[in-house]
Amino acid sequence: MTAPKGGYFGKILEVDLSKGEVKTRPLTDELARKFIGGSGLGAHYLTSEYKAKHDPWAEDSFIFIGPGPLNGTFCPGTRASFVNQSVYTGLISHAEVGGHFGNEIKWAGWDGIYIKGKSKKPVWLSIKDDKAELKDASKMWGKDTAVADEMILKEMKDPYARTAVIGPAGENMVPYAAVIVERTRAAARTSTGALMGNKKLKGIGIRGTKAVPTVDVAKFTEAAKVALQYDVDREAWQGIKRWGTGGLLEQKQWVTSSLITKNFQTTWYPDIEHIGGEQAARTFWKRHVACNNCPVHCMKLGVIRDGKYRGLIAEGPEYETGGLLGSNLLMKDFAGMMAMIELTDALGVDSISMGGVLAFTTECIDKGVLTAADLDGIKPKWGNADAYMELIRKTCYQEGKAGKLLSMGVKKMSQKIGKGSEAWAVNVKGKEIAAHDPRGDKGRAYSYAMGQCGGDHHEGDSSDLQARWGMINSLCMCSFVGGVPWLRETPGVVLNMLNPLCGWDMTDQEYWATCRRIITTERCFNVREGISAKDDRLHKRFLTEPLPEGPKKGWVFTAEDEKKMHDAYYKHFGWDEKGIPTEATLKSLDLDYLLDDIQAARKIL
Amino acid sequence: MKEEIKIPESINKQTSRRGFLKGAVMTTGGAIALATIGGVKPKEVKAAEAPKVVQRYLFVERQNCTGCRACEYACNIKHEGVVRPSTARVHVYKHKGVVDVPVICWHCDDHPCIAACPTNPKSLTVDPKSNGIIVNEKTCLGEKCMKCAEACPAEYVRVHPDSGNPVMCDMCGGDPECVKACLQQSGKPQGPCLIANTLGFGVNLAYRNVKPVKAAEDMMDLLFYPSKGDRPKTGKSGKGR
Repeated sequence: MTAPKGGYFGKILEVDLSKGEVKTRPLTDELARKFIGGSGLGAHYLTSEYKAKHDPWAEDSFIFIGPGPLNGTFCPGTRASFVNQSVYTGLISHAEVGGHFGNEIKWAGWDGIYIKGKSKKPVWLSIKDDKAELKDASKMWGKDTAVADEMILKEMKDPYARTAVIGPAGENMVPYAAVIVERTRAAARTSTGALMGNKKLKGIGIRGTKAVPTVDVAKFTEAAKVALQYDVDREAWQGIKRWGTGGLLEQKQWVTSSLITKNFQTTWYPDIEHIGGEQAARTFWKRHVACNNCPVHCMKLGVIRDGKYRGLIAEGPEYETGGLLGSNLLMKDFAGMMAMIELTDALGVDSISMGGVLAFTTECIDKGVLTAADLDGIKPKWGNADAYMELIRKTCYQEGKAGKLLSMGVKKMSQKIGKGSEAWAVNVKGKEIAAHDPRGDKGRAYSYAMGQCGGDHHEGDSSDLQARWGMINSLCMCSFVGGVPWLRETPGVVLNMLNPLCGWDMTDQEYWATCRRIITTERCFNVREGISAKDDRLHKRFLTEPLPEGPKKGWVFTAEDEKKMHDAYYKHFGWDEKGIPTEATLKSLDLDYLLDDIQAARKIL
Repeated sequence: MKEEIKIPESINKQTSRRGFLKGAVMTTGGAIALATIGGVKPKEVKAAEAPKVVQRYLFVERQNCTGCRACEYACNIKHEGVVRPSTARVHVYKHKGVVDVPVICWHCDDHPCIAACPTNPKSLTVDPKSNGIIVNEKTCLGEKCMKCAEACPAEYVRVHPDSGNPVMCDMCGGDPECVKACLQQSGKPQGPCLIANTLGFGVNLAYRNVKPVKAAEDMMDLLFYPSKGDRPKTGKSGKGR
């Protein structure tokens, strides 16, 4: 049990909202080396502190916000990871969010923030270096995320501070609510927003003035400069620099044929030209925005110049927001789509799940299993932004019959509605999927079905990539900056930075074992909650309905594809055919503390 | 037989400002200059090696900033060895989550900070070679004074969290790291935002004399609300909805 030499401060900020006190929890070098940080460390805390079949709404539920060891250093594109047990699916969930929030945690001298308990009245957490305190948030309760952000900055009297706040959706505990960081970036897909709302924690403001301890400064800086150079040189990123991920909307429509359309009925949507990256560049985008030290600057900000929403500044369209709230709803009205995207940000709700829910509702109306009477008289039609805007607002405030119904999410909605609506209730492990159709882009099936969060598009598109992404998410690196450009050079490029930073002597072998350990730990949590191979499946729409149009007409994700995927994946990680980690695997990865739980789960599954 | 097309000499002549200046320098050179006037084509003249320019001013094109803070990081690596933006000699201020404003030392010719410095001799001096500001850590009164910060029209001067003295830009001795980092990060479609002034036309007072918040508000108007009345009145946040 030694204190870390570098890369970590060796302490985690522990906040108990029930008692209203803050403590320091030590982080040892051994634990840091085993789980790195971010999603890995969060997975360790979740598995070691929760018992099987944990109730996500319980008072001892916690949120772990973790930067990785590289955060706050010269390494480009570092993020922050929000890890918790999802109240939506009951499974482990982690969301990585860009911006400067993660770095600020490190500069304040912490390796993570661990928040548990429930407050009686609304509070917000102010962190200035070592000084952390809970402050009254009754004035900002009910405010949207942009206003709350401004109020926190004002109260901190520091314009250089960074914030993470929830909006009305989180306060009303919509199970797919998001945390909005620095106004435009969402830590979503994890239901962290709902959990924060449940804990009556409105937000976090943070500012630090320290530097991350580094063992060998010269060597580390040199390696970090090499890592940065990969991103500067990478030609593929020239497109992302210019178009952001919004440019992918056109590409996935015309080339990959994986742009989701009309609630996943097809992938052919030529009208994308009205709402895609080109249209945005012509009429909307004004600025490029980057995360720390990042040459890619994929985020675009723009303003609507005409019509009802004139003067509205919004971020996007990104590929996911433009897909879920654009093509999936057959939108042709660019301003309407941007207004929806901005509304989801402002109210603090996951735009991916929200888009999935809206598309499902519209198809229900189409097929006649839902009527306007069930939705307070609102009748959503494909491409009608006004009705969708009203439904988003109602959902976030859980208002009326429509709000109550839509805030249940696709899976529970279809259970309630019945009448065969399961056939188009597209979800994986109870969560809506993102904007890549796995029939056109078969690699994504790995990310959706095999990924531990379920329905997540960012977990790697093959067994090997998932292992790598376990590490990337624990280092809290951006996929664009740290994931893809370093692929061929990993682990070299990462280890060249990590070893001089932390004073380690990590080998390639240990690196790959750490990758597998992180994913296996996450899996063990899900296995205890009753997940096995039977749940690692795509929705049956992708298995039974071939693509009706487009360059990949007739493609379908077959049962053989699924079998192949399962076999390759479980073999890669050393799990049995049910998808449960074997005893030998757990022992070899030094995860002995999970043996009993997994043996017990194996008997039931 | 085709007639040979004669190109007028004036078209071939380089008429750029640089070429003009170069020619001007050459005339003082004597013999070679005479040769140029005599009709010898410029490329035949062996170009004199350009002297290394010392960059005396910083300039920031705020519209180009993406908020990546590469300038802060490069500054820290040069001066502190490790990244610690609270001590950086350049800051990036994010306004309402919408615009980023790099806050720099413009290296004013009138030096309001030095004029305001109460110590005798002055604790702030100008490096004659690079035009950078040097802080005398021994004589500086530090946090309890900070007259320089009050005097700075760009609200640039910050307190060092350890020493309590003001943090001043020394131009890295004439070759600023922040400028190089900005150039490396930029590319298509966004050009670099930090520029070191090689021509030496001085400080743009219209740019300098605005505080970061005002500069950010101006830039929001410029970028997002170019015509009058575009800016929504509702919503204190400025991100009207």
